[in-house]
Amino acid sequence: MTAAIRYEWTRLRTLRSTWWLTFGVLAVGVGFTAIAALIVRVNVHADELSGGRLDGDMARFYVEAAMTQFSIVDPMFYLVAFVAAIVGILGWGHEYRHGMIRATLTAVPQRWAVFSAKYLIVGLWVTALVVTSCLLSLLVAGVFFIGIDVTYDAGDILGTILRHVLYSVLVTWLAMSLTVLVRHQTFALVMLFLWPMGIELLVRTFAIMISGFSHNDVYANAMRFLPFNAGGRIMQTFGAQNDTFGPYHDLTTFGDPLSALGGFIVFGGLVACLIAAACAAFSTRDA
Amino acid sequence: MIEARDLAKSYAGKAAVSGLSFDVRPGTVTGFLGPNGAGKSTTMRLMLGLDTGAGTCTFDGKPFTAYAEPMREVGALLEAKPFHPTRTARNHLLMLATSNRIPAQRVDEVLGLVGLADVAGKKPSTFSLGMGQRLGLAAALLGNPHTLILDEPANGLDPQGIHWLRELLKALANEGRSVFVSSHLLSEMALMADELVVIGKGRMIANGPVEDFTKLSVRNHVLVRTPQAGELASLIGAKLAGVGSVQRTGDSELTVTGLEANAVGDLAFDNRIRVHELSTHNATLEEAFLEITGNAAEYTAHAPAAAPTTPQEGAR
Repeated sequence: MTAAIRYEWTRLRTLRSTWWLTFGVLAVGVGFTAIAALIVRVNVHADELSGGRLDGDMARFYVEAAMTQFSIVDPMFYLVAFVAAIVGILGWGHEYRHGMIRATLTAVPQRWAVFSAKYLIVGLWVTALVVTSCLLSLLVAGVFFIGIDVTYDAGDILGTILRHVLYSVLVTWLAMSLTVLVRHQTFALVMLFLWPMGIELLVRTFAIMISGFSHNDVYANAMRFLPFNAGGRIMQTFGAQNDTFGPYHDLTTFGDPLSALGGFIVFGGLVACLIAAACAAFSTRDA
Repeated sequence: MIEARDLAKSYAGKAAVSGLSFDVRPGTVTGFLGPNGAGKSTTMRLMLGLDTGAGTCTFDGKPFTAYAEPMREVGALLEAKPFHPTRTARNHLLMLATSNRIPAQRVDEVLGLVGLADVAGKKPSTFSLGMGQRLGLAAALLGNPHTLILDEPANGLDPQGIHWLRELLKALANEGRSVFVSSHLLSEMALMADELVVIGKGRMIANGPVEDFTKLSVRNHVLVRTPQAGELASLIGAKLAGVGSVQRTGDSELTVTGLEANAVGDLAFDNRIRVHELSTHNATLEEAFLEITGNAAEYTAHAPAAAPTTPQEGAR
């Protein structure tokens, strides 16, 4: 296993695309944060401030929303995770596109080790990437909040970062598994964006239409189980409530909306199934 | 020592490789020959566990996949350009080396050995096919392995490169290594290989020393020039007794198969027949290969039909 880890680590860091994507992720994160923080700064109303001080849920919302480019809000999505997942797609895609897989397996013939090491190293890379993106974004947001006394709990910040790490790693592993299964990085790349932003949107639209015509909400309500919709719930701790954004409280695991745990079970379950299918395919078919 | 036993592989019910068994002994270059589509590359992938199929292949007693650091035992070149186009040549080798705990210093050694030291920091996307092959060879040699499996390593090499490769592989074999190499360059193989494994349509056709293979050809013959061709032909025909043949290929020329030149000479001498020329023609590896694999070619081309005569040409 250590041989595969050494191989994968060297493979990942000696590719220019890894670094371009890493800088891309950070640029997307920090850039969007700057815009988000600016919007927050301009729209923080004086009546929300108590003696120039912002605290409580509102402070938490502004800080975490700026840090995560509003992905804590249902139903926003976390673009950083999708850009980071491209690192994973290329991790497998290059193996097949450039015929590297045979060179890889003649250096490390234990397929389970190659497979595991790739998921582990890319997962760790994405973890470091998301943590760095969040911390840099927090720093940038802090610059925009100069002059406002914002109080927030470090534990909440850490929890939010961990939720985003978990979601990003799951999206990356899902993308990697798709690449292994189809052995075509362009297809996997298209699917990574088309699935949540096209296919799930269409399915949801049709479900709402059917519910509307049939006067039966069961179809629309079932849409909370769509994989990326459910996955987003891992991060989305705020939702629209009473004409403003407020934190979710007392959600049940598979209620509407799903709790973070419910979202993790649905999305994580799908990712686990895809990883198992990819592992079986990689272990048994010709290189 | 490579021991391949009963290797078999089929695609959609069609056998690509069927029951291949052979050995590659240390200290020899074993050539792997076969027409296009004969199953050579599939066999090599089966040997390394890259393809799923039947049979076993061991390298010094262990299957390839049982080695923790296989590049130190078996060096393989299977693809024409098996690298990422933007990862530098040095980094490509470094990536392979780190997995097998091969010192980075060895990377520079093999780059020098294959003549790529000057482009070690360049992206392989700018490499020619020949340079790509050299990088692939460098990867195969990285772990200083006892065994080499090389699929068409001469592809894309210039004449100097081919000469270098031949000398390199012979030198490696002389050091006691087992070298298993496929190639379509039969003249090169004739100069390089000690043993041959010849397959056609996935089945074994011949396996053994190169000399034994060429002896199988009917193109091996003795040429005799004599003013008494008819008389000598009758004597040879009687001596052959149906094994071999004698043909008049000119007024005073005979082509004989089935008899050695010295036997023909003795026969002429004993019967006071004057001989002006007595020579042996040995079939080349190419002649033997084309003759023996003639019916085993998966894909064959046909001679183009004669070009139709244009009206203008016809009018002239």
